[in-house]
Amino acid sequence: MVSSIAFYIARRAINAVVTIVFLIFILFLMIHIVLPNPLALARIYALSPHVSLGVLQGIVKQYGLDQPWPVQFGNYVVNLLSGNLGTDTQYHIPEIQVIGRYIPITLELVIIGQILGVLMGLYTGGIAASNRNNPIDYGTKAVYLTTWSAPVFVIAFIVQLIFAFWLQLLPSSGVVDPTLPAPAATTGVPVIDSVLAGNWAYFWSLTQHLVLPALTLAIVSFGLVTRISRASMIDALDKDYVKLAYMKGLSKRQVVWGTAFRNSLIPIITLVALIFAFSAGGAVIIEDVFFYHGAGWFTVNAIYNFDYPAILAFTIIIGFSVVIANLVADLLYAAADPRVRLT
Amino acid sequence: MDLGDVLHYKWRRPIAAVSASGPSSSTKLEESGRKVGGLRFYLSYMAKDRAALAGLVIIVAFLGWAFIELVAQEVANLTNHPEYAYALLPSNPTALNFNEKLVPPSLNQFPTLLLGTNYQGQSLLSRVLFAAPHDAIASLAIVGSAILIGMFLGTAAGYLGGWLDELIMRLTDAFLSLPALVLAITVSVILGASGTSGFYAVLVALSIVWWPTYARFFRAQALSIRNAAYVESSKLSGSGSLRILARHIIPNSIDPVVAYATLDLGTVILTYAALAFLGIGIDVNYPEWGADSSLGLSFFPAAWWWAIMPGIVITIVVIAFTLVGDRLQDLIVGRMTY
Repeated sequence: MVSSIAFYIARRAINAVVTIVFLIFILFLMIHIVLPNPLALARIYALSPHVSLGVLQGIVKQYGLDQPWPVQFGNYVVNLLSGNLGTDTQYHIPEIQVIGRYIPITLELVIIGQILGVLMGLYTGGIAASNRNNPIDYGTKAVYLTTWSAPVFVIAFIVQLIFAFWLQLLPSSGVVDPTLPAPAATTGVPVIDSVLAGNWAYFWSLTQHLVLPALTLAIVSFGLVTRISRASMIDALDKDYVKLAYMKGLSKRQVVWGTAFRNSLIPIITLVALIFAFSAGGAVIIEDVFFYHGAGWFTVNAIYNFDYPAILAFTIIIGFSVVIANLVADLLYAAADPRVRLT
Repeated sequence: MDLGDVLHYKWRRPIAAVSASGPSSSTKLEESGRKVGGLRFYLSYMAKDRAALAGLVIIVAFLGWAFIELVAQEVANLTNHPEYAYALLPSNPTALNFNEKLVPPSLNQFPTLLLGTNYQGQSLLSRVLFAAPHDAIASLAIVGSAILIGMFLGTAAGYLGGWLDELIMRLTDAFLSLPALVLAITVSVILGASGTSGFYAVLVALSIVWWPTYARFFRAQALSIRNAAYVESSKLSGSGSLRILARHIIPNSIDPVVAYATLDLGTVILTYAALAFLGIGIDVNYPEWGADSSLGLSFFPAAWWWAIMPGIVITIVVIAFTLVGDRLQDLIVGRMTY
């Protein structure tokens, strides 16, 4: 049994690596179709538009831009295996150092936002299912169809308007109060670092700044959870064991949240992986609106400089996270439902 | 046979002749199909759900207006009379008028100030109306191209199988491992570096990104239809692969895609707006819904309407597509009572 799961994970991991390498290949191919001239690529690395040809040729030599692109692609993939994502064109230091600072901030946002979104979705889904085809059900549907159809930035604006500007409960932008001294970067994840250092003022500031972006992300993604959990809850409510629970004399609340709810959870697990990918896209926009300086914000800035190693790095990191999230979801699915066999 | 089955056959008219037991029964299907099919049937079906009907009205208004405005803009381009492009609008969307800058939404000078004005004193309503053709073209063109590419690759993968299937599915997985928005950003930035920026670069980027879901759809359909009796019988009667694909597999795969595509039109508008919001593929002289929202960010929250109003318009249009798509899906899945 254990060995079959190990075999399954190994097979999926190999598949994932092939998928990601293929993705890098496509992006590389596109970059080199668009900019076939190594000097044009070197120009991106040059800090000034007025550099001389000699300097550009130096840059070409330094980064090996004149090699045929399949060779460059091969080098990139080999470097990737040792965690080297190339050199940033703007800071001229390894990309992993640049983007690595921002990734944990985005992860904090996406994970907290997603947990919030799933909880909201499960709750509204359960409410909608237990009030099937009455005004509460239709009301829920109206709400989630709206949040689902609204652009992410509009939801961000409205959340900002209500909680930061009208009620003045929470800060409207930024990651943390910049006047506070930062704790030592032990793990690189600001929340964990501040807890480890016992710097509670910093931790509190981080949390306050995280609430609104995470809430926005939750509002953006809860609709999908609501829809699926409503459907699976309705399925569960029609089962014989629910009738049995009613016959035993349990109240409606006990039946819905005690008996049916747990059985309706299984399809949500797969959904979580799907929403993770969706949230990563939404985070780019949310970070832009809230000036939340995470990886998405960094990438949007990289766009204007055509800092292509940064964009490639971000793309690859997101791709990896999505693939891993999918794998974890499949394993959890098998763990939660003994009828599912991994093949 | 209930109405759902009849509809099923109506939508799959090409197979009625082959899959049903004989020519006589197929003509019967055609006859009964005529009663439930056609524009009138779909309208009355939509009318049973008021929300979907409202959505349909909004979609028709949006596409109709986009077409009219597109014609006006093209006429203006061809005749070198820029004023023709905004002849139908409440005001000129690109002229500067600092006397009326940052006016909040109001009913004065109806309808010019309905959504307020921006820092340049331009009516946001005019700008939103002026920008409609781009969003309509983007949604139709992207979903259309995605269906075509997805149909070609997905059907080939599913029907032919083997290493081609493996290759196409790896490609699909590679694209699907990223959120569409992130990939679209990456691709449009790469395209933008070559100098092809603006609207068409975004169209190309989105069509490169958008097809994989459809390829999956069509592959699954092809796999399930491949062994159907009517395909077997067509093979036995000597049809080649191409003929089977064109006559049987593809026509039978289309209908589940239609409802999804309707929903997807809204998603494309959202993604297009998000790209414009990030400043990708925008033209300074051409207002965009997403870009206007982003410009308003600098005056937020004092001039909240600038950032929010274009976004509300996007929301309304996308909700319309969602409602109609949902209703169509119910029809196709057949879980509705008529």
